[in-house]
Amino acid sequence: MTRINKSGFAISVIRGFGPVLGLLVVIGVFSLLVDTPGRLLSPNNLRIVLSQTVIVAIGAIGMTLIIISGGIDLAVGSTIALTGVVTALAIAAGYTPSVALLSGIFIGGLVGVINGFVITRLKVVPFIATLGMLGVARGVAKWMANQQTVNMRGTWLNELLVMFPNPSWLLVAPGVWIAIILAVCAAIVLRNTVFGRRVFALGSNEAAARACGIATDQLKIWIYGLAGLLFGLAGVMQMSRLRQGDPTVAAGSELDIIAAVVIGGGSLNGGEGSILGSMIGALIMAFLRNGCQQVGWPNYIQEIIIGAIIVVAVAIDRWRSAKA
Amino acid sequence: MRKLLLLLLVLTLLIACTRNGGNTKKKLTIAVIPKGTTHEFWKSIHAGSNKAASELSAQGTEVEVIWKGPLREDDREQQIQVVEGFAAQGVSGIVLAPLDNRALVRPVEDAKRVGVPTVIIDSGLESEQFLSFVSTDNRKGGTLAADRMGQLLNGKGKVLVLRYAEGSASTTEREEGFISQMKAKFPDIELVSTDQYAGATRDTAKRASENLLNRFADVVQGIFTPNESSTAGMLLALQDIGKAGKVSFVGFDSSQTFIDAINANQLHGIVVQNPFNMGYLGVRTMVDSLLGKPVEKKIDTGVMLVTKENLEAPDVKTLLHPPLDQYLK
Repeated sequence: MTRINKSGFAISVIRGFGPVLGLLVVIGVFSLLVDTPGRLLSPNNLRIVLSQTVIVAIGAIGMTLIIISGGIDLAVGSTIALTGVVTALAIAAGYTPSVALLSGIFIGGLVGVINGFVITRLKVVPFIATLGMLGVARGVAKWMANQQTVNMRGTWLNELLVMFPNPSWLLVAPGVWIAIILAVCAAIVLRNTVFGRRVFALGSNEAAARACGIATDQLKIWIYGLAGLLFGLAGVMQMSRLRQGDPTVAAGSELDIIAAVVIGGGSLNGGEGSILGSMIGALIMAFLRNGCQQVGWPNYIQEIIIGAIIVVAVAIDRWRSAKA
Repeated sequence: MRKLLLLLLVLTLLIACTRNGGNTKKKLTIAVIPKGTTHEFWKSIHAGSNKAASELSAQGTEVEVIWKGPLREDDREQQIQVVEGFAAQGVSGIVLAPLDNRALVRPVEDAKRVGVPTVIIDSGLESEQFLSFVSTDNRKGGTLAADRMGQLLNGKGKVLVLRYAEGSASTTEREEGFISQMKAKFPDIELVSTDQYAGATRDTAKRASENLLNRFADVVQGIFTPNESSTAGMLLALQDIGKAGKVSFVGFDSSQTFIDAINANQLHGIVVQNPFNMGYLGVRTMVDSLLGKPVEKKIDTGVMLVTKENLEAPDVKTLLHPPLDQYLK
C-alpha cells in the first residue's frame, strides 16, 4: 500500500531506472560485439526491433495489470493464436477489417472474462484456471481454423507492423504507435484512477482491500477482461505479421510476456510493477534476441542468456529493495 | 553500484565507437535459413551450403555461410524474426526454406527493399520478389516412381496410391506426376484407389494403410506412397499382415528402415531427393547473382530412383549418406 501514496510517482521513476539501465547495458554490450557498432542502432534495425516488440509489449500491458493484482495468466499465447484466427476468419468471411479487428479484440476480452469467472466463482487459483484456458483456447483455435492456417485477402490490417510504414512520416510501424499510446494510457490509469489504485490494493493485500470495501471478485473479472482485450489486440498484431491466422503460433509467448513484466520490476507476489518497466523489459528481450543474431551466436546461447537475465534482473531487484 | 554500471556503460560505448571501421575486407555473407535444425534433411542442406562456400572461397570469391533456423522449430513468427534480423544486419543475401508460402512473403519483400536479395529453397513462396526457386522437381519424382511401377508389373495389374495430406503442395505434385504418367504410359494398369490420405504422421499413415489394405490387399499388385511417413506407415502395415514383399511397393524419401526393406525385397524402389545439392545450389545461385551473372528463375536439384540394383553404386551411396562430417565441423 505504500506505493500508492504521494511519493508513488517518484518511487516508480526510481524503480523504472533499473530496467532502463539494464536496457542501456544490453545495447552497449551488443554494440561492442557486432562488427559495425552503428548497425544495432541503425534506423532499419530499430524499426525491426520495435515491430518485433509490439506483440510482447501489448501483452505485457495486460499482464502487468494482472500481475500487480496478484494474479497470473498462462493462456496469453493461446489467446493470441485464437484471436488471430478469429480475425483472419472474419476477414475471410467478407467482413470489413474494422469489424474483424473488433471481433478479435472482443474474443480476447471474452476469454479474459471467462478466466475471471473461473477464478472468482469456481475459486480456482489463477495459475490453474489459466493453465486450463491455455489448452482450451489453443484447442478452440485449431478447431475453428480446421487445423490449418487461415488465409485471407490483404487488408490494411496487414500493414500494422510493416517495416516501412505508409505514410512514411510515421517512421515506425503504426502498431508501434498503438502500443506506445496504449502503454501511456495504461500507466495513467494505473497511477491516477480509483481503478488503478484498487488494482495495487488488491495485489498488496487482498483481505485488507476487501475490508476497505472493494468488491474484489468484481474487480478481478474487470482486470482479466481488460487484459484479455489487450491480448486480443496482440493476437490481431500477430495475424498482421503473419498475414494469416495461424492456430499454432505464439506457443510459449506467455513466458516471454511474463518475463518482460518481471524484468521490468513486477512482483509475482502482487502489488508491484509498472507499465514503463514492463515495456523496457519487453525491449530488453527484443534487443537480446536481435543482438544475439547480429553477433552470430546460435539459438541455444540466446535461450541461455535470456533465461539467466530473467533471474539476474529479479535478484538485483530483490537486493535493491532489501537495501531500501 | 549505479555509478559503476554507468561507468561500464560509457566505457563499452567508447570502445564500441573506436572499433568502427576495422575488418572491411570484401566478403560475401550468405544467411541460410532452414525450417528447423534437427532433421537429417536440414543437416544435409547445411553441409551442401558449406561445400558451396568452401568451393567458392577456393576460387577466389570469399563466401561465409551463416546457418540459423527459427528459435522454436516450425514456428512461422520465429522464422520471420530470423529473416528480419539478417535483413537489418545487411548480409549479402538470404537463402530461405520458407515455413509457409504466405507468412514469409512480407519479410522477404522487406529484405529486398533494404537491398538484401533472397533465394528460396525446398518450398515455394507466393511472391515474385525472390531471385530463384531451388527445389526438387516433385512431378518428375512421381513420374520416376510410375516408370518403376510399370516396369515391375510389366505394364498390367492393379495399383493403389495412398496420398499424403490434403493441401500439401509438394506431395500432391508427386501424386499427380505418378498418376498422370501411369495413365499415359501404362494404360493397362488400373488405379483402384487414389483418394485416400495417410495424414501427417507415421501412426496415422499406418492406420490409413491398414484400412486400405483390409479392402484391397487381395486385389492389388502395386502400391505407391509419396513421402517418408506414408511410406513408413504402409511398410509397417504390410509387414503386419504378412504381405510385405508380395506386392510391388514404390515409396518416396529415404531412411535406414527403407534401405533395410529394399535389401529384404519388401520395398522395390524409393525416389530420393537431394537436399545436399539443394543447399549447394542455393548458395551457388545466390553468389552467382551477387556477382552479376544471370540465374534461372527455377532450378531443379534432382531426384533419383533407388532400387536394390543400384543401392551400392557410388553416386547412390553419396546421395543416401551425404558427407556431413566433412562439411559440418
